[in-house]
Amino acid sequence: MEENRPSRLTAIALTFMAVIWVSPFSWLILNAFNPLSTGQLEIPSVVGFDNFGLAVSGNAGRQFINSMLIAAGTATLSVIVGISAAYPLSRLKIPGRNAFLWTLVLLRMLPAAGVLVPLYFTAQRTGLLNQLGVIIALTILNLPFTLLLLKNFFDTVPIELEEAAYVEGASLLQIVTRIVLPMSRAGIAVVWFFSFTGAWNEFLLPLIFARVQDAFPMSVGLYAAFGQQGAINYGFLTAFSIIYAAPAVGVYFLLRRNMNTGFAGVGVKG
Amino acid sequence: MKNQANPWLTSNLWVLGLGMLPAILLIGLLLYFTAWAFAFSFTDLALVGRKSVEWSWVGLENFERLFTRRGFLESLWTTVIFVFFSAIVGQSVLGFLLAAALRGSRSTLRSVVEVCIMLGWLLPDIVAAFLWSATTAQTGLINQLIITPLGLPPVNFINDYALPVVTIANIWKGTAWSYLLFTAALDSVSREVVEAAKVDGATPLQRIWLVQLPIIRPHIATNMLFITIWTFTYFPLIFAMTGGGPGRQTETLAVFLYNQSFSRGNLGFGSAISVAMLLIVGVLSLFYLRLLREPK
Repeated sequence: MEENRPSRLTAIALTFMAVIWVSPFSWLILNAFNPLSTGQLEIPSVVGFDNFGLAVSGNAGRQFINSMLIAAGTATLSVIVGISAAYPLSRLKIPGRNAFLWTLVLLRMLPAAGVLVPLYFTAQRTGLLNQLGVIIALTILNLPFTLLLLKNFFDTVPIELEEAAYVEGASLLQIVTRIVLPMSRAGIAVVWFFSFTGAWNEFLLPLIFARVQDAFPMSVGLYAAFGQQGAINYGFLTAFSIIYAAPAVGVYFLLRRNMNTGFAGVGVKG
Repeated sequence: MKNQANPWLTSNLWVLGLGMLPAILLIGLLLYFTAWAFAFSFTDLALVGRKSVEWSWVGLENFERLFTRRGFLESLWTTVIFVFFSAIVGQSVLGFLLAAALRGSRSTLRSVVEVCIMLGWLLPDIVAAFLWSATTAQTGLINQLIITPLGLPPVNFINDYALPVVTIANIWKGTAWSYLLFTAALDSVSREVVEAAKVDGATPLQRIWLVQLPIIRPHIATNMLFITIWTFTYFPLIFAMTGGGPGRQTETLAVFLYNQSFSRGNLGFGSAISVAMLLIVGVLSLFYLRLLREPK
């Protein structure tokens, strides 16, 4: 088999790029592990984990849990609602379904700030100005994408397999859970991951929905710590940033194998 | 039609319908909120004060203000520059070049490059903003590593070159998506086609330009569609880095919308901005979708 090796020149260029790409992290890491950090780019004289200790205790720890609840809740709710609607959408020939889905995706392009006001009023009236409200609101905003992606993945599952299973006496539930879901595992992982990172990173919605400091997720916490009066504690902020960035990075590497196959489905169908 | 041939579907229509119910409900809410935002754009609703309660219909006044007052058109231009250089030129081209260069290679270099650019993408917006503010600061990495050793006085990039800085930050952050999509796309081009072109004497450049690019055209259009729209409405990175400043140099439409709606409290005018943005995005999408469909 022909191995498509990059030439020496390409290899050097690529290495150079990789170095440039990670170089901004130097500041983050140097400061986070420096208990005497001043926010400057310098090699620490003492190396320690004191900053990380600060970044997981008290308020910061609670914010981590809040972010986790919001992100995992949104991702799971999106996938469940998405699957139960995308399968019928994929299999039943509902007229105009593709046009409808694309219209929704387009509509969703409305900048989030545009629907923020109606969302806020509704949440206020229904008593949902809390984590659950954020989860539901993010699920609503995610749903068009979720539906479109999941439907495209289900479309690639050959219907003959389902036919065969039916002939063997399988019920609808069995067909879906034993054939369709396992075969579109990669796609579901991608959708779950997108929703998770999207919700984990989300800043604007929790900023407006979270009324008390106890309900802040990490994004809002970090932003608030940024603007605090007086001396900014860079050591704490950088350590907090690393902890904040870790789960999304971690989940990606857990799902990496699935992700790369799953991505193929994104571009396949219009 | 196929429906008749699928008894496990036709005999369970009510189950399928029940499954779709939550999604229909939530989509209904989305449509309802959007309609509400549209309605606001014809009012003088404000966030606080008297007009937050006693608002009135003002017809097309908000839309006239888009063109007669300073702000909107300038922001639109800033947004166009930002989208063109960061998404179309930066992310798309760089993503494609990386995907093409690393195609088929199983080396550790590929994994390393992939991990590096993914780190940018996976980083939360606020952290990325924090990171780039520090990197381009007067005592930051670029000054300490390049400018000062050259004997030049340190440059405050975020102040003097605000738009290029946020553009580069966005390229850094977003290239991974284009890279992943193009990698998947190039994998779908069969080896035989490329080999055949090689046998026929096509140079590497010709193989990319005349063989691979036409085949992955739908993927290119999809990629363009997604990143254009995302970048067009992208908010947190710029907001956290510059807040739209200095002056209005980096006030893209998304930041303009936020500042008008929530800093100044003009919810009516803000809604008009988002409606205008939706129209622009809609036209762009139709253009890309055309590009996507044409070959058939």
